[in-house]
Amino acid sequence: MTNLSPFDIQARPNRLLAQALSCVLFVVCIGLYMHTSVERHKENAEDRVVPSGHQLVAGIRSAVLEPAEEDDYIPAESASTWERLRHSMIWKDTASSGGRFFISLALLIPFVVLAVHIGLFPWFGAGFLRFFLFFDKIVALSLLPILFIAFGIDQWSKIALIVIGVAPTMILDVTQMVKAVPQEQIVKAFTLDANNFDVAYRVVFRQVLPQVINSLRLNLKPMMLFLFAGEMIAASDGLAYRIAIMRRHMGMDVILPYVLWVALLLFLIDFSLRVINRRLHPWFQA
Amino acid sequence: MVSGMSTPEMTAGLHLIGEQATRAAAKAKVQAAKSISIEDVSVSYALERSARRCVLENISLEIEEGEFVVLLGETGCGKSTLLRMLLGQERPTAGQISVAGSRVERVDARSGYVPQRYSLFPDRSVLDNLMMGPLTSKFHILGRLRPSYWEARRAVKAEAFRQITHMGLQASDAGKYPYQLSGGMQQRVAIAQALMMKNRVLLMDEAFSALDPSTRSSLQRLLRSVWSETRPTVVFVTHNTAEALFLGTRLIVLARESKDDACGSRVTLDMKLAEGGMTLRTHGQEFLDLVEHVEAVSCGQRLTAPGERRTASDAWGEELGRVEPVRVSPEDGVRQ
Repeated sequence: MTNLSPFDIQARPNRLLAQALSCVLFVVCIGLYMHTSVERHKENAEDRVVPSGHQLVAGIRSAVLEPAEEDDYIPAESASTWERLRHSMIWKDTASSGGRFFISLALLIPFVVLAVHIGLFPWFGAGFLRFFLFFDKIVALSLLPILFIAFGIDQWSKIALIVIGVAPTMILDVTQMVKAVPQEQIVKAFTLDANNFDVAYRVVFRQVLPQVINSLRLNLKPMMLFLFAGEMIAASDGLAYRIAIMRRHMGMDVILPYVLWVALLLFLIDFSLRVINRRLHPWFQA
Repeated sequence: MVSGMSTPEMTAGLHLIGEQATRAAAKAKVQAAKSISIEDVSVSYALERSARRCVLENISLEIEEGEFVVLLGETGCGKSTLLRMLLGQERPTAGQISVAGSRVERVDARSGYVPQRYSLFPDRSVLDNLMMGPLTSKFHILGRLRPSYWEARRAVKAEAFRQITHMGLQASDAGKYPYQLSGGMQQRVAIAQALMMKNRVLLMDEAFSALDPSTRSSLQRLLRSVWSETRPTVVFVTHNTAEALFLGTRLIVLARESKDDACGSRVTLDMKLAEGGMTLRTHGQEFLDLVEHVEAVSCGQRLTAPGERRTASDAWGEELGRVEPVRVSPEDGVRQ
């Protein structure tokens, strides 16, 4: 048997080796961080830029079990862990940001439906497509001052920013998906006595739905990006608000867990959507 | 009473209206017997600089109920365009088309359709593909909320299973998705899907072109037997002569007068293929470019030399006496 070089396109690592390889970069990052932290703490034991393991644990503990500074303090001895968790800083910030995020997600649904119509009904296409092609080129963040004036600095300005930032791209994306549905399928549906809405929702929408979910998965990060931009500029709670506040105090022991927590949340949402897509649309995986 | 009109005038008028109604009814009856009617249809597309490309020119055809018509011709001669117009997917630049007695304006359920590819809905199982037509026609988008839906669904499901076995598939295939079926099985389901609607007209666009020869042959036999049972009007587009001769009761060859000609195809040959023999009709003095396609009809006797140009009427006029019933060798996989 010929031993192929690891740089050969035809060489495949076995499963165990592949899993080990996928962990290497994580281990390298953690190692580098720890090394830097140890070196900096040798120079200054109170260093907060690259917190040590102890500092990180303390930071996570305070974020997870203690309320935010602006909220009432709950004494550790009189409250259960669950109650402390529910009043914690991270819970409050996650609930605020999550609420904004999921309301925006729900508000994108009508735009997906509109996109199906734009791709399928020529009259809709003629009316809307060019408008969204142009609108897509507007930098959403440049609209933030206008949104603050129009919606105030409450959560609706952030929700509007997410929707305005993501909706045009999703509309154009879904429109392309709809246009890619073979014409034969649409003609066939009409010969099976389907009416326009049967074709739109029973044939085309069903077929593009897995791709729409995938498109949504790809847009999760831009959505979070717009939310963070809004929260960092003007907010009184939220994950990005907390990161911005902590930056002023050099609170890297809280910022780093928050960054990882946001990444984990996005990863879990993405993973859930992937599982849902696989379960609901087994035919799409083929 | 209408002012300014005397009683005899009115009687005459009513008589005229009655006559018109009778004539219209008679015309409708004739139209109904003629399952498909194509009258002086031309199709052309706009090109750059106000030029036009003519795809079909002055095509007129009458197809009677129960005929199995095969449209044969080279790639790009307009067979599929003609079929798309029968479906209502495209509109002729001139002329008009009627299917099942009424003019075709848009795609609707009067014709069944089996395309070459994408014939099944990929997101539905075989059973759901088959049930889709009958259920959609009775229950549109919110119809599932009606209690009668479930009763109708049971009846349609039973019919779908009957079609599955009728098409030579296993009952266990009912739950499979199209991607889990071979090309031949997919086309069997596609035919069953069209048959579920019990249309009197079935339009098939190169439905077997993507299949391997043995699957193709078995599907040809299946289609032929299905057609023999219920005798729907079938229009089948193909560029395969053996397939055309095996399936059709009537063969229509579309061809261009000249490959360099700016204007489109004409019906070059229209031929009735009866069971025991055949009669030939030619339209006008068109050149028979596709003579190599029809040579099999005369049991291998070449009617004209390849490339030699003779008018169709001349060629067939001379050779009519030598034309025999369709007999093509078994390896061609066509009717004996």
